[in-house]
Formats: sequence, C-alpha cells, structure tokens
Amino acid sequence: MYHLKKEKMKRINISILSVLAAGIIFSSCNKDFKEKNTNPNTLPETRPELLLESTIFAVRTANQTRELRLTHEMMQVHVTTSNSDEIHRYLIRPSESDYMWNVWYTQLTNIKDVYTSAKNLVVLPNQAYNASYMGMSRILEAWVTSLITDTYGNVPYTEANRGRTDNLYQPKFDNQKSIYDSLFVRLEEANTLLAQNLALPATLVARDPLFGGDLVKWRKFGNSLYLRLLLRASGRAESGAAAKIQNMVVTNPANYPLMASNAESAILRFTTTAPFLSAFSTYRDFDFNGDNGLSEFFINTLNNWGDPRLTKWASTVASAYVGIPSGYAPGAQQDRQSSYLAALKNEPLTGNILSYAEVQFMLAEATVKGYITPATAAKTYYENGVTNAITNWGLALPAGHLTKPGIVWNDAETLAQKMEKIITQKYFTFFFTDFQSWFEHRRTGYPTLPIGAGVLNDKIMPTRFVYPVSVQSLNKVNYDAAVAGMGGPDDMKTKVWWDNN
Amino acid sequence: MTLLSITAKKLLAAKNWLLACLFLLFTVSVTAQEKTVSGVVKNPEDGSPITNATIQVKGTRGGALTNEKGTYTIKVADNQTLVFSAIGFITQEIRVGNKTTIDIELVNNNKELEGVVVTALGIKRDEKALGYSLSKVKGEDITEAMSNNWTNALTGKVAGLNLVKSGGGPAGSNKIILRGENNLNGNSEALIVVDGVIISSSSGQQTGTGSTSYLQSDSPVDFGTSLNDINPEDIESVSVLKGPGASALYGARGANGAIIITTKSGSSRQKGLGITYNLNASIDRVNRWMDYQNEYGQGTSGQDTWYSYNASEDGPSTRSTSSAWGPRFAGQSYYQYDPVTRDKSTTRLPWVGYENNRKDFFETGKTLTNSVTIDGGNNNTSIRLSLTNVNNTWIIPNTGYKRNTVALSVTHKLSSKLQLAAKVNYTNKNSDNLPSTGYNNQSIMYFIRGLTPNVNLDWIKPLWNPGQENISQNQPFSSLLDNPYVIAYTMLNGSNRNGLIGNVSATYNFTKDFSIAIKTALDYSSEARTQQRPFDTNKYPEGMFRSQNIFTQEINTDFLIRYSRDIGKKFNVGISGGGSQMRNKYIRDELRADQLNLPGYYNLANSKNPLVALPYRGNYAVNSFYGLAQVSYDKFLFFDATARQDWASTLATPAFGTNPGSLDNTGFFYSSLNLSAVLSEKIKLPTAISFLKVRGSLAGVGSGGIIPYQTAFTYSPTLFPGGLTNPAAIANPNLRSLLTQSAELGLDIRFLKNRLGLDVAVYRNNTKKQILSIPIDRASGFSAAVGNAGLVRNKGIEIQLNGTVLKSAKGFNWDIFATFAANSNEVVSLIEGVDVYVMSVGPANRGSIQAVPGGRMGDLYGIGYNRAPDGQIIYNAQGLPTRTTEIKYIGNTNPDWKGSFGSEFKFKNFRLNALMDGQFGGVAYSLTHAVLMEEGKLKKTLPGRYNGIVGDGVQYDAVNDKYIPNTVLATNIQAYYDAHFNRDNIEANTFSTDFIKLREVRLDYTFSKKLVSKLKLQKATLGVYGRDLFVISNWPAYDPEFGTLENGTINAGFEIAQFPSTRSMGLSLTVGF
Repeated sequence: MYHLKKEKMKRINISILSVLAAGIIFSSCNKDFKEKNTNPNTLPETRPELLLESTIFAVRTANQTRELRLTHEMMQVHVTTSNSDEIHRYLIRPSESDYMWNVWYTQLTNIKDVYTSAKNLVVLPNQAYNASYMGMSRILEAWVTSLITDTYGNVPYTEANRGRTDNLYQPKFDNQKSIYDSLFVRLEEANTLLAQNLALPATLVARDPLFGGDLVKWRKFGNSLYLRLLLRASGRAESGAAAKIQNMVVTNPANYPLMASNAESAILRFTTTAPFLSAFSTYRDFDFNGDNGLSEFFINTLNNWGDPRLTKWASTVASAYVGIPSGYAPGAQQDRQSSYLAALKNEPLTGNILSYAEVQFMLAEATVKGYITPATAAKTYYENGVTNAITNWGLALPAGHLTKPGIVWNDAETLAQKMEKIITQKYFTFFFTDFQSWFEHRRTGYPTLPIGAGVLNDKIMPTRFVYPVSVQSLNKVNYDAAVAGMGGPDDMKTKVWWDNN
Repeated sequence: MTLLSITAKKLLAAKNWLLACLFLLFTVSVTAQEKTVSGVVKNPEDGSPITNATIQVKGTRGGALTNEKGTYTIKVADNQTLVFSAIGFITQEIRVGNKTTIDIELVNNNKELEGVVVTALGIKRDEKALGYSLSKVKGEDITEAMSNNWTNALTGKVAGLNLVKSGGGPAGSNKIILRGENNLNGNSEALIVVDGVIISSSSGQQTGTGSTSYLQSDSPVDFGTSLNDINPEDIESVSVLKGPGASALYGARGANGAIIITTKSGSSRQKGLGITYNLNASIDRVNRWMDYQNEYGQGTSGQDTWYSYNASEDGPSTRSTSSAWGPRFAGQSYYQYDPVTRDKSTTRLPWVGYENNRKDFFETGKTLTNSVTIDGGNNNTSIRLSLTNVNNTWIIPNTGYKRNTVALSVTHKLSSKLQLAAKVNYTNKNSDNLPSTGYNNQSIMYFIRGLTPNVNLDWIKPLWNPGQENISQNQPFSSLLDNPYVIAYTMLNGSNRNGLIGNVSATYNFTKDFSIAIKTALDYSSEARTQQRPFDTNKYPEGMFRSQNIFTQEINTDFLIRYSRDIGKKFNVGISGGGSQMRNKYIRDELRADQLNLPGYYNLANSKNPLVALPYRGNYAVNSFYGLAQVSYDKFLFFDATARQDWASTLATPAFGTNPGSLDNTGFFYSSLNLSAVLSEKIKLPTAISFLKVRGSLAGVGSGGIIPYQTAFTYSPTLFPGGLTNPAAIANPNLRSLLTQSAELGLDIRFLKNRLGLDVAVYRNNTKKQILSIPIDRASGFSAAVGNAGLVRNKGIEIQLNGTVLKSAKGFNWDIFATFAANSNEVVSLIEGVDVYVMSVGPANRGSIQAVPGGRMGDLYGIGYNRAPDGQIIYNAQGLPTRTTEIKYIGNTNPDWKGSFGSEFKFKNFRLNALMDGQFGGVAYSLTHAVLMEEGKLKKTLPGRYNGIVGDGVQYDAVNDKYIPNTVLATNIQAYYDAHFNRDNIEANTFSTDFIKLREVRLDYTFSKKLVSKLKLQKATLGVYGRDLFVISNWPAYDPEFGTLENGTINAGFEIAQFPSTRSMGLSLTVGF
C-alpha cells in the first residue's frame, strides 16, 4: 500500500508540474498581445507633408458636393426640377447641417496636426523649412474655421479638436467676434512664418497640391484670405477691420503681399488622374445636371452681359441660353432648360478656393467704402476683377465688355449701386466656391435675387444653418449656451455677428 | 472507502477545479469478491462479432478486449458494473449481479441515442441533465428541402432563431441571430462551430466589397461565406445553444449563443464498404411579383397626351424617362422604337404594354447536386469520405456557382486507451459571376425598376451598338440605366474560394472515467475575387477591373482533461478542465484599376492610372483556461458549474516609442451555474404526465470583441501615396471586456407516454459595458471615442411542442410540431450624455435605426406625414400631402414573435412532411415601393390619372385655426403621388413585414427491402420537395423576409432594390450500395 501510494504521488507531481507548465506557457503567450494588437495598417506618427495633401483635397471635394446641393440652389445658380427638393424654397432640413460640421471639424484635426507635427520637427537640423508648413496650417485653419463660423455663427473654437489630446468631448462654443479676432492673429502668424521663405526640399514640393511649394504664393493666399475675413467683419466697428485693411493695402503693402494675377489664385486644380479627381468625376451626368436647370436669374444676368463664361458653364436649348425660375410653388416645377455642361464635372477650376478676381473685387469694395485710398482706384480694381474673372476661364474679354450697361463703372453712382455691381460680379467668380456667394449675400444683400411664390422662411434668405441635430444630443449644455449667446433661436433667421445687413 | 469520501469532500470544497481534478488521482480501485464472467459482443445489424471491443470494470482500471470471435472473459465482482465500448458503437453498461455470462449487442453509433446532444466544446450530454435550452436539428431535417444555403433549413425548426438574409443572389448569405439583438455595435451574430472549429469570425465572416447599397460607385456583392459552403449532406446534427448559459464554455464569442455543427463520421462495418449515392435536382422560380400596372406607358407629368420616340410631329421626345405617367394604352399609335433601325419608327406603331417584360428577364434557376459517400471500417478504425459536386445557375442570366467538397473523417483506436480522430473538409467554390446587389447602376434590380411598360425586353437584348462591341452599350431608352444584359454578361463579379476546415484530435483514456483530449482545429480560406466593368457604363465610363485577395485563418488549439466517477450509490461527479489558444488572422489585398486603356480587356495590366492598392491586415488572439464541474444526484438532480478565464489581445495596449504598452485589461473571468431537476423521477405525478423536468441557468460571458487595434491612436492611410489622416474614432488604451449576463428558466413536460411534449424557456439577457465607438460631437475633432458603455436587455419566451397525433398498428403515423418565440428588448442605457445612438441608416441617410434609452433595438425613425391631432394627413393648398421636417418614430423593424407549425405523415413506405412558419409585428422601409410609386409603376398609382384626385385628409384653416376636410383636387398626378410616396417619406413607404410562408413540403418514398435487395442495393429513397412555395404577406415588394447587404454586413430594416424571392422545387434520390 505504501509503495503504491508513493508511485501515485510521483504521478501526481508530474501531473501538477505539467499543468503548471501549461499555465506558464499560456500566460507567457499573452506577452505577444501587445505586438498582436499593434495596427499593421496604420502609423502612430505623422509628418506635415503626409497630412497636407489629403486634407486640402478632402475639404475641397466635400465643399464641391455642398456647392451643387446647397449653395447653388439657395443662390439661384440652378434650380431643381424635382418638386420634392425644397432647398430653393429655403426649406433646409436640419439634417443638411451635419455634413459640413462633420467634414470641416474632422479635417481641422488634420490641419492642426500639420502645425503640431511641423512644430516638433522644426527644431531638428536641416528641418527649419517645417516653419513653412506651420504657416500653411494656419492659413488652412483660418479658411476652414471661417467656413464653420460663417455657416453656423457661434461655434466651438478654443476647445475644438481637443478630443484626443485633452479628452475634451464636449467643447464649449465661442462667440464669432472672438473667433474672428483669433483668426486674424493666426493669419498674422502665417504671414510672419511664410515671410521667412524657408523653401521646402525638392522632394516635398510635389506634395503641395495648391502652389507646388511656392511659399510666396502661399503667403499671398494667406493675406488675401485675411482681406476676405477683414472685409466680412468690416460692418462691425469693434472688429477694427477698416484700420487693418488700410494698414495691409496702403500703409504696409510690402509686408502684406496679395495675389497679383490669376496664376496666383488658390485653386485645387483637379485632374483626370486619381486621386486628384473632382468629387463629380464619379457622378452620372444625371446626378450632376439631370434634375436641375440653371436659373433665370443666373442665365439672364450673363445673357444681358453677353458674358462668354456661359459657353463654359451652360448648355443651350435651341441655340439659346434659357433659365427657369427659382422658388416656384410646390407642384409648379418646370422642365429644365439650360443646364450645367457635363464637362464641368472634371473642370479643374471647380476647385476654386480664393481667386485673384475676388481680391480685386474686395479691393474695389474697400475703396468705395473708404477703407483705402485713392478713391479713383476703385474703377481699376473693379475692371481688373471683371476682366480676370473671365480670363481665368481661358476666355478672352469680349470687345467693349467693360462699357456694357450693367457692367460699366461709374464713379458717380451711389455706394449701394457700386456695391451691387461689385458683389454681383463677385457672385459669378464664386461659381463653385464653397458658400462664399451665400455669405456675401447675407453680408451685403447682393446680388438682388428674385423671390418666387413658393419661398418659405418668411422669404428671408437663410441667415445661417441650424446646428446639427447630433450636437443637441452630444453637446447639449454648450449648445444651449451658444444659442442663448447668439441672441436668437437656433433657426435660419438669427443673424451671425458680422451680419448687420 | 474513507479515502474516497475524503476525496469527494475535497472535491466539493475545492475552488480550483484543476487541482480538484488532480486530487481525484488519489482514488484507489475497490476490491471485493471476484468471479469470472464471459460472453460475446455482437453487432445487432447483422449479428457479426465485434472484435477489439473494450470491456472495463467501471471505476477501476481493470479491463479486457474481445477476440476475433467477439468473445471475452473478465474477473469482476457481483456489485460491479461492466462497461462495453467499441469504436463506432454506443457504450453500454451492465451491472454484473449474479450473472456469469453476459452477451451483448452494441448499437451502432451513427444512430445517436435519443436524448444525447452535443453541447459546448463538443461535449456530448444527456439532454435531461441540461439546465439550459438547447435545440437539436438532425441532418436529415436540413437536407429535406435543400436550399442554396443550408442554414435556411433552420427556419421554423428552432424557436428563438432569426435569420437575416442578404437575399443577394445564389450565395445567399444569412446572419444568424439567437434571442434578439443585444449589441449596439451591430455584432449580435451567433457563434458558428463546425466540428469544434469556430468559423464565424474567420472564413465564416462576411467580407464586403467595400460599398453600400444605394447609388455608390460600386455595389455590394454577396460572395457568401464558408458557412454557406458546408455540404448539408455531411451534417450529422446541429445543436443550437441559444443563450450564454449554454455557450459559456465557448467563452467570449459564445455570448450571442452558438450553432454547433457536427459532421458525419464513419461507422464500423463488418461487411466491407458502405456506399451511398445521392442526387438532388431542383429548380428555382420567382414566387411573388409586385403589383405592377400595365395601363399607362412612358412619360412624366404633362406627357400623358402623346408619346414620341425622339421628337416627331406628335411632340417632343418622351423616350428617356423611367416614369410611367404617360398615355394610356387605348389602341392608339405613336412613333416608337424600331429595333431594326434602332431609331424612331417611320410609321406610327400600336401603343401597347408588354406585361411580362420584367418577368421575362428572369430565368429558372437550376441546382444539381451529386454526392457519393463511402464509409466503413473495422473495430479500430472508421472512415467516412464524401465527395459532393454542386452546379448552380441562378434566376438572373449568367449567374451561379460550382462547388466541390471533399469531406474525410477518420477515427482510429491505436490502443484501448488512445484514440486519434481527424476531420477534414475541403471546399472549392467557383463563380464566374455573382450578381451585384442594391439600388445602383450595375445592379439588375435597378434596371428592372426603371423599365417602363411600353418597352419590349427584346429591344434591349443586343448588348452593344452595332460595330461598337465593348465600347458603346445599347440603351434604346434612358441612358441612365445600364443595359441589363450588359450587366449580366459583362459586369462580372467572380470568385474562387478554397476553404479548409479541419481538426485533429487525440484522446487518451487513462481509465474509462479519466481522459485527456488534445485538439488542434484549423479554419483556413483563401479567396480570389475579381470585378470587371466594360466601357460606357454609367459608373465606369472607361471600364474598371479590380481584384481582391482575401485570406482568413483561425487556429485553435485546446486540451481538455475529464474525470467522472460515482460517489456512493447516488452521486456522480464529473469534472473537466482545459485551456485553449486561439489565433485569428485576416489579410485582404485589393488592387484597383478604375479606368482602363483598351476596351474589352480585364486585367491589371490594362490600367490607365497607377493601380490603387488597398491592403488590410487584422490579427487577434485569445488564450483561455476553463473548467466544468457536474454533479448529479440519483439521476434526478443535475448541477453544472462552469468557469472561464480569458485573455484577449484586442484589449492589450501596444507599445509605441516610449509608451511601454499594457496587458492590464486583457484578462477577464466569468462563470455559469445550471440546474436541472427531473421531477418525474421523484414525485408521483398524474399518469398522464410521463416526464417533467424543470431547469434554470445563470450565466455571465465576457468578451474582448473581435475588432483589434482599438486601443492605440494611429493615423490611417489615404488615397494619396503616403498620405495620412486622423482616424474617425479616438482609441482607448483602457478598453475593457464587455459582459453578457443571462438568467433562464425552463420546463420540459411530456404527456401520454411521451406522445406529447412541451418545452418552454423564458430568459432575460443583459449585455453591458459594450465595446462601442461612442459618437461624440465632431467639434471635438473626431466622430467617436472608443469605450465601454450601454446596456441592452432582451427578454423572451420560447415554446416548442412535439406530438404524435396518430400511431396506428397499420403503419400510419402522424406527428406534429410547433414553435413559438417572442423576444422583446430594451435599450436601457447608452452613454453618459448621449441620448441617441444611430445604428444604421437607410438609403442616403433617409431614415435610421436608432437606439434610444427606453426604446428598443431596431427602432426606425424618419420623416413622415404632417398629421392633424386626430391623425389625419395634412394637405397643402395644392392638394398635396405635406411632410414633417423633423424625423419621427415610425415603427420597430424586429418582429414581436415568430412561430412555425410542422407535420409529418408516415404510411408504410411513404412519408409526407410540411412546414409553415411566420413572423408578426415588425415593419420595414421599402425603397423599391417608393421608387415605383414615384414613377407610376404600381397599380396603386392608377386612381386620379387624367382627372386628378382629392387626397384623404385635412387642410389647415389658418383663419379659424382648425382642420377642415381636404377638398382640393390635385391635378398634377405625378406630383401627388410623389408628395405621398417620395423615397424621403419614410412613414409612407414603411410596411408590415408580417408573413406566413409554406416553407417546406416533402414527399418521400422508401423502396421496399425486397425490391432493394433484388437490385443488390441496401436502401433506396426517392423524394420530391418544395421550398418557399407560397407566401402570404402584405409586403409591397418581393419578400418581407430580407436583409440588405451593406459594406460587408447584412442590415435589416431597409429594403433596397431586393431581388425577387424564389420558390424551389426538387427531386432527390438516395441509393445505398
């Protein structure tokens, strides 16, 4: 019995040992779990040039889709022939607000990461050029942030895009004035950074889709954007915009170079080679122009001017350009007449961000409003704008174009008349340029758009978009505070800070 | 004996199962007065002796083997029990008593004993010992009325099982959900286990083509999964473990229940080989059509007074629209399409409708299955080999697949103690073309909905314009619709998949009661897919060619030590402990040439641009230890406890740079308790009650999820070379396991000598701390943060009824069975500060399935009618119905209950089976309905044409601030129906998905023994069957039972251009040699 027991004990010991050994083998196997859960499809670090291209492309193509869906519909470039689509009647469902909010804030994360990653690298030997990326980042940040605040009003800014770095999931909203003040500082910083002209290495030049690494052009883009924002805020004396414009254009022009030709325009020029494809490249013709026709206002204005851009933009019906009315009553839709040319789907110029012609029109306005001198320069700026808006499309200025009725500049006209002329011209340079024509209409009331019988929202052009519904559920406390802070309900009649029209 | 009871006490007190298991080694054989017993062991089928059968004295290590005559002798005491076992036969126990000769016939193993079921980890258990509900489906029940996907055969046979079907073509993938959805992230699918190989997260998972179903550049294709590829002829049985209580031993992935498939093994035969040949031929035809109108032809609003193919003296061209608001077919003539000149006819032709133009496009699907099975063996070895060939063509021209399967199962007894087994299942499935699904050019159903009644399908039949082969497609009508024959014959989606599911196991029996089993299981598949599109198609004007190579592999190695023994006369204690190691790998490489240089050539060399490469790799692993203890008392009370510790790699934080990473959250523990009491054994019940069992189960199952890489922040690549972007979700280094808890009570009661049986289960499951991408305000810079949140509760009842209505001496037999399952769930909580969680969205964000605290899973929200306080639709001044601008609750997409009723008649050699099933209480949105209403294609759009219509509802009288009946005549009839049924109006296009289907009917004839032996056969059966023969439903599109393929998953709730459903009819012949 004793012997038997001893033998059994031995076997038990072996068994215990083998189970323990198995346990050790198993638990030590957990050690490779860290490597196992390391994502082989992504990278934990980045560099500025790796983010830049994709983010500019993402914002610009997302804006393209909104131009076709919202801006051009509200602003009577085209009008839908589908009775159920009611944007031309200013019926913009709350769900429309999500897309821009989502894209713009998401891309701002990338844009800000361009700055932070460049800032980390700029201290390394031979990498001072990263300061140029910091400048680019600031310009893009100002561009996208201004789109957000101009669309919605008060929006998260100081606490925005800090989800990862600070676990800040419910950012507070800032008022629009403070956002504009901060953007001015951002653009000053960009101007300073880019003034150093720290050239990018040749290998990185190709990764700049806007200016091919030309830092002077970037700087001019930044300052031109600065001018756009100053002018937008200029209706508010507390913005100090008039003085800043004067400093920029009259006092210190050498320190604030602006775009000086069409070649310096900021345009993401789409190609037909992936991935630099226009957002419309995969649209069927029908999705692009099948259920919409160009509007009477748009076609008639260009017809009256004999504007050659029609040949690039619109199809003809029986050899004529014909528009259809916008804002028609429900059930009164008309068949489309002239529509977008399908070639526009792949048109490089639909990647416009900010053009030289717009700069000229801004200077014309700044002149007629007395922010800059001499007053006589207004005509030059205006005519430069008109001319370059057409030549930018590869077209020649028709003979006598600048003296045609409705175009010709007359210094004797009233400010309102001059403004209408400038902004109406500018409206056409905003063909496929995010929401700029709508922003400018809200600010100036121009161009004067006919209001159809079916128009809703008390026949008021939407003064802003409502906040996305998701924000109400995901960031309720700050949302409520923001709505209260704007002095009106969260609707499309409450005006944003700069809107004193 | 004292030692034994000490051991028992120790065992009962032991907390560490593994140690307890080891203590049992102390047990010593009991000696008593011995005598010699002898006898013969025989096979009852033919009376042949069974050689090498093992005879063991129960509870000891003593034993003997039979010789070639089947005889044995053994020394044993009166109070002991002999255990007879042989490979391929069911083990039997006989108490010795005063006998000195014990002859025995062992029952062949392939006829499973009643009541034995396969449970988690493949452990066979007596059904009455289970504390949870388990449904068993026999192999024959699956092959009875064969469908392209054998899982369809589970419908109506298992209470609480819900199939969400892709309806995506011949591959016909299904998502299997048991006891309702519980995961907010949409991953509520049951675990699928084939012979111990878990396939649901490897080759059994859906892998999409990266596209959603509504107007995208690409369309989803149902390429099927390896679950579809399992040869139904090889299935021995399917056990459905519905709740976590049953599947807790599967660990993390068993939280949603499990489907355990056991394939057939060989049997030991004494007389050579058994060969079975099986032929199955079936046809599929569309079983239900929509209610199309055939009274009015092509035209839009205002085009109802003339038709003209291109402009003519009758008026401008009206040929391009997909709408049918045009003139009535009233015997008049117009200039129409001339198929010879392919232009406007020179004379006016009769204006007629082609009523069958849609139906004529569809063909009769045909499936031919040939399978040969060879099985045989001797007492030490058994082998089964089956070869199956399937040839399918589907209802859409030029679609279908071929499949070849080889299944081999080998069991070999190396000695009386060591047994080796291997199962290998190899499948090759090849398809030249599987149909694109969804609402998009490239999908057939997009064209079918666009077809107008005045178009003769023959006109569309030429693929190309003359002399423009592969360059310019023939589109006599709308250029917005790709020619369906171009889609079917040139827009191909090919797939070639090789799959291997197999395992090798070794079992060593130290004694009859103490064994160790080691098993390695492999699930491997590699699939090559190609997609091609010719030039001049709407989405790819310059053609397209893409290739996708997908490799999946999961290896699971485990061991299980089992010990059981009787303690005293009444207790039996069993204890098992084991561990496993799982490694899962997924690789997908996609190359895209989205513009081609030369028309008609489909390969990567023809790419106009540099190829776009989209690689993805995924890896994860789980290590586990688990234990199971079973105590039974007097064959009456059964108690089980399971415990499991897992470590999941998906919860590990990787090391980057100076960050050391962490393994802190990888481990998690959970357990389950099950109790079963067979009251009829102990309590005197009325004689009508022949059996009564009550059962209960409490279980928790943790999970680390199957999505890796959620614990570290990284940048994702973009389409730009080397380009990077921030990810959508913020990673969470502190991610923890989720927990599913379940409580279940059940009752199994049988009456009248088991002629009537009723099984009832009630359950409550909570799934909490779910691993979610929690939506956050995008102003934070991200769309979501990964974290643990949410609680979803499912409650339900499942009833299963079996009965024998008639059993006559003359051989007439009538059995019935019925199931009922109702499940209700509640989203108890989401995430702090979030009151809506969007789970999925409809076409272009029209409508959404939202989880809202207090609501249910599957709640459908969307825009609907503006309604007056009394519920009437409010019309505007033009007499058109108005819609809300804000979304509202529309209904719930999950049915409240499902039921089935089956019946089987047997008379002599005939057998007739029928099964009906239905679901009630759910709704879904139908895009097909919406679009056909917008376009005036359904009979419902006939009222009001020409004369206008006054909609049923009210107008708002602003002066008196009240609602007055609508009296405005809407004259623009297209605008009227559009205002009602435009696809934006979710409410108007949402319908009940209630249905009753005649699911299966089968008539079998088994040839008589006499005839069979004359033909020198062993058996022969001939059967005819039908599947999905009739459907009763108000669903406006084709099939109320559907899912929609979206980017690699199947979503419910939104029907998006579904294919017609089919009725199958077939013939099967089984011959055994």
